[in-house]
Amino acid sequence: MIEWVTDPFSVHFMQQALLGGLLAAVTTSLIGTWVVIRGMAFMGDALAHGVLPGIAMAFVLGFDLTLGAIAGALVMVAGIAFVHRKGGLREDTGIGLLFVGMLALGVIIVSRLPSFTTSLTTFLFGDILGVRSSDLLVQATAAAIALAGVALLYRPFLVLSFNEAKAQVLCLHPRLAHLAMLTLLTLAIVTSFRAVGTLLVFGLLIAPPATASLLARSVPTMMLTGAALGSAAVVVGLLLSWHLGTAAGATVAAVAVAAFFAVLFGRDVADRVSRSRRGTDETDGGA
Amino acid sequence: MLPIVFHAPGAELTRPTVAPEVREPVVIARDLVLAYGERVALTASDFDIPAGGLTALIGPNGSGKSTILNAIAGLLEPNSGRLAVLAGPRRLAAIAYVLQSTAVNEAMPVTVREVVGMGRYGSLGPFRRFTAQDRALCAVAMERLAITELASRHLDELSGGQRQRVFVAQGLAQAADLLLLDEPITGLDLPSTERIRSAIQAERRRGVTVVLTTHELADAAAADWVLLLAGRVVAAGPPDEVLVPGRLSEAYGVTFLAHGGRLMIDDPAHRSGGGLAIETRHRADPDLEGWQA
Repeated sequence: MIEWVTDPFSVHFMQQALLGGLLAAVTTSLIGTWVVIRGMAFMGDALAHGVLPGIAMAFVLGFDLTLGAIAGALVMVAGIAFVHRKGGLREDTGIGLLFVGMLALGVIIVSRLPSFTTSLTTFLFGDILGVRSSDLLVQATAAAIALAGVALLYRPFLVLSFNEAKAQVLCLHPRLAHLAMLTLLTLAIVTSFRAVGTLLVFGLLIAPPATASLLARSVPTMMLTGAALGSAAVVVGLLLSWHLGTAAGATVAAVAVAAFFAVLFGRDVADRVSRSRRGTDETDGGA
Repeated sequence: MLPIVFHAPGAELTRPTVAPEVREPVVIARDLVLAYGERVALTASDFDIPAGGLTALIGPNGSGKSTILNAIAGLLEPNSGRLAVLAGPRRLAAIAYVLQSTAVNEAMPVTVREVVGMGRYGSLGPFRRFTAQDRALCAVAMERLAITELASRHLDELSGGQRQRVFVAQGLAQAADLLLLDEPITGLDLPSTERIRSAIQAERRRGVTVVLTTHELADAAAADWVLLLAGRVVAAGPPDEVLVPGRLSEAYGVTFLAHGGRLMIDDPAHRSGGGLAIETRHRADPDLEGWQA
């Protein structure tokens, strides 16, 4: 039984995958907590996919893929702000337009490559089993920056999430705080996509914090719980993919989402049990 | 700039014996136009808000009440004209603004204690730690609104009235010179309404300038100063001068009648029944004791 767990992780590339996955889980949970609290999931999703043409361009031109991803994210954020301000449309319309536009552009660029299917699969679903040591260093740096960011900007982020006008009145610069949050979100996405892909990085960004929100009663505990749940999803997902021969990144994301529904269902059952027990007590008391 | 506090004997029990007009105003507006983009919410208006009293902004929906609060809070730049708020050197977070509770993200994993504590962030900034004084200010604010027992609860575990008391406590915890409240008692249960009213009165007695918006003529009548609004300032002054049938009719577009110390809407459909009484009482009215407490 113990070999079921230890055997896969005795292999070097699985150790690298584990480390890459854990670092991604920590970084995305710290930022994902704010994404969930502020209801920015669609924005996070769009950013995660919006980086695709940047990555594809970097791949074609031989640049670093992370730099390409950053460029893609910047275009995405600027585009959303532009549509929102000039078009007078709701922000989610701008997000939707940019989301589809950037995704299409990414696929168009990749479709010109000879290795179309392989490249697209790698970009979208990641290559967690191909994580290199240099990637790990970048990811560790990102995790440190994310941790410092959410710790230092806790109050501005908290009041911004509570109410933007309140943050303004309390001199906590909501616009700067929002920008800082988008920057950290971009950081989490562009440094994690190599491990889990642009499609699945969103799973780690949203699923563990969403699960944590069902359990935690404060923002810091939500972050900690999210990071723990995300890490558990990485370990369990990698083990399952090893033994079942399934795609690693997708298995990790699926486990993270499954955990959410398991907790949701479990909480519902627990609520019902405690309610019916209370109901019985009341009946007993009345008798 | 500190408001003058009067210590006349009995001043605590009756209305302050101060004519607000002799005090230096904390808000001075001249030819002030306020707009959201193209949509003008307040056409060129002049008004003052006196220091150290309770000012009520009253008028129909969309008359510019909240817009004026937003402008005073610095959330909305004047479209044209001049608006001076707390002239002179101003300390950080000198203005507290209690927003309409519907504007707040209630699904956050934060406790009542933490929400009230946010009021201190204005002067503490992002990094400085809470001192004993900060904690004391929060404790007093929570005590005043009777939410101390709710300290560990989450916002989504509270009733609407309890939640509004938390938001008012958050405003009080800021210990600001100017306290703005946007419809603090609209649609609340009776205990919450009374708690919030008495907390507002306590702030006013402490010399804080309080400005609130309301739909209740009774609340406006109990204030020291009233701005009657209808997309412009129809009248500004003490309630006896502003809340008169002529002015109210002008602002609301219906005919008000004074009848036996009460203001009524002259509603032709109900004329046989003697008109529809609007909830308003004069200050000597014993019904207003809740306000004075």
